[in-house]
Amino acid sequence: MGDVYISGAAMTRVGRREESLPDLMAEAGRGALAAAGLERPDALVISAMNPEEFVGEGNFASHVATHLGLARVPSLRIETATSSGAAALFAAYAALKAGLHRTVLVVGGEKMTHLPTPRVSEVISRSIDPHERSYGATMPALAGLVARAWMGKTGASLRDISVVAVKNHANGAKNPLAHYREPVSLETVLESRLVADPLRLYHCCPISDGAAAVVVRAERTPVRIAGIGQGSDYLALRYRDVFTGFRATRQAARAAYRMAGFGPERVGVAELHDAFAPFELISMEDTGLAPSGKAARMVAHGETALDGRLPVNPSGGLKARGHPLGGTGVAQVVELYWQLTGQATGRQVSARVGLAQSIGGLATSNWVTLLEAA
Amino acid sequence: MSVAKPPNIEAGPPSAGAVVDAAPATAPRDPGTAPAWAAAIAASHCARCGRTCAPPARYCPDDGSAMTPTTVPAHGEVVSFTTLYSPPTGFASPLHLALVELSGGAKFFCHGAGTKGLRLGARVTIEAVDDIYYFSTLSLAGRAALFWRRRAETATGRISAFAKSAAKLLQRTP
Repeated sequence: MGDVYISGAAMTRVGRREESLPDLMAEAGRGALAAAGLERPDALVISAMNPEEFVGEGNFASHVATHLGLARVPSLRIETATSSGAAALFAAYAALKAGLHRTVLVVGGEKMTHLPTPRVSEVISRSIDPHERSYGATMPALAGLVARAWMGKTGASLRDISVVAVKNHANGAKNPLAHYREPVSLETVLESRLVADPLRLYHCCPISDGAAAVVVRAERTPVRIAGIGQGSDYLALRYRDVFTGFRATRQAARAAYRMAGFGPERVGVAELHDAFAPFELISMEDTGLAPSGKAARMVAHGETALDGRLPVNPSGGLKARGHPLGGTGVAQVVELYWQLTGQATGRQVSARVGLAQSIGGLATSNWVTLLEAA
Repeated sequence: MSVAKPPNIEAGPPSAGAVVDAAPATAPRDPGTAPAWAAAIAASHCARCGRTCAPPARYCPDDGSAMTPTTVPAHGEVVSFTTLYSPPTGFASPLHLALVELSGGAKFFCHGAGTKGLRLGARVTIEAVDDIYYFSTLSLAGRAALFWRRRAETATGRISAFAKSAAKLLQRTP
């Protein structure tokens, strides 16, 4: 079969939203269909990490399909924890590649801010190994363990990881759809309260509501999905051999580059999964965008800023654009599509190839997607 | 590949397990090498790939082989550690967590009394208190802090637990 293309993208403003999750997903879905000039896709792929517990809705693909007025369109829901959106794009890609459909609408989203933070944290923690959870492990705790091990190996400092948050807030300030639109100072990050030592509050992404959508199709458009790869790792952190990077990202990147037929040297813009600030640095190294141990220096030298050689997270990333779990993997691709088609007003960079990297759980199911402008 | 159920393996949480004698359950203890006080941690071993899991797992996470029960020494090196300031319901803040590479090969998730002055690669010993595993540095002060931290316990319980731990330390010190 031929190539797979993106023909339209849309997303909601991310943040604390009053609308229901189906409303948010319909807003994004309708926006993407309109952008693609498409009335009815052949199929609908939905991603949401846990609508059952966050909003009390089940059979969610059918729910969203009906809400979108696409009840007659076959729909399914994909879930790989916090990387569900990237996985949904993969499902659509595979269906097109197999020749099963010609157009697929992918919609990802989550709604959490209506719940108390400890409850949100508890639901997110379900993606952690049960034994480690029984010891009180949460996502920030596991991220703290990984961050300390990685900092120990690379010599990266607290300042190095904090610069990432400052950069992403600066980018978010230029993105009208971002959760946080205020720049923050290095001092604010360094002085914010400890969450999971060495991680402080401003190293962690917020709890966000929001949805994002893209239309993928078999007909040629200006943006092609050049490669898409998945990588996996043990659910339990204690089974892993490497703590100073994520095997799942490395595996996903290898698969995506192999499919694309090119390597990291052609990537001109990246959206990385900075759920915790050091993850952006780790992910730069895992995807080959930075040599091992050199990511902190690249960021410190401004190479990944909006006007740098390789802008990373022009949207503001998970840190500032926000992290509506099941929506995030799609939102990354929306940003890259806008960047590659010159629609990223206020934060436009110059690039022909974009890389999106999404982490599922504590890096148990990660995805790397490569988009190429025609 | 054998998929037979191995005996004496507990799978699933909370799988803290029990402290058992150092010698593997399958072999008779050699009194010359395994003194009565030498605690070890219940684990499982994969005959096919050599992986050891602690606490024991029913099947090897790598190749799905049924694992054999074994034990590993209750000490090792700190791979990483953190202190959580907003722990989940049921845990006191701050919650100190560490990942320790046991001398027997498995990495092990445990609590601790504190992480002040702790370094990556530090040697720690691991003990179970009420079926929950704690790491501690080998100092008397570290042990005292560990047992003093247990809020739920009576004062006598704390003192007796600390005395037992200190006695172990004295026996272990050459």
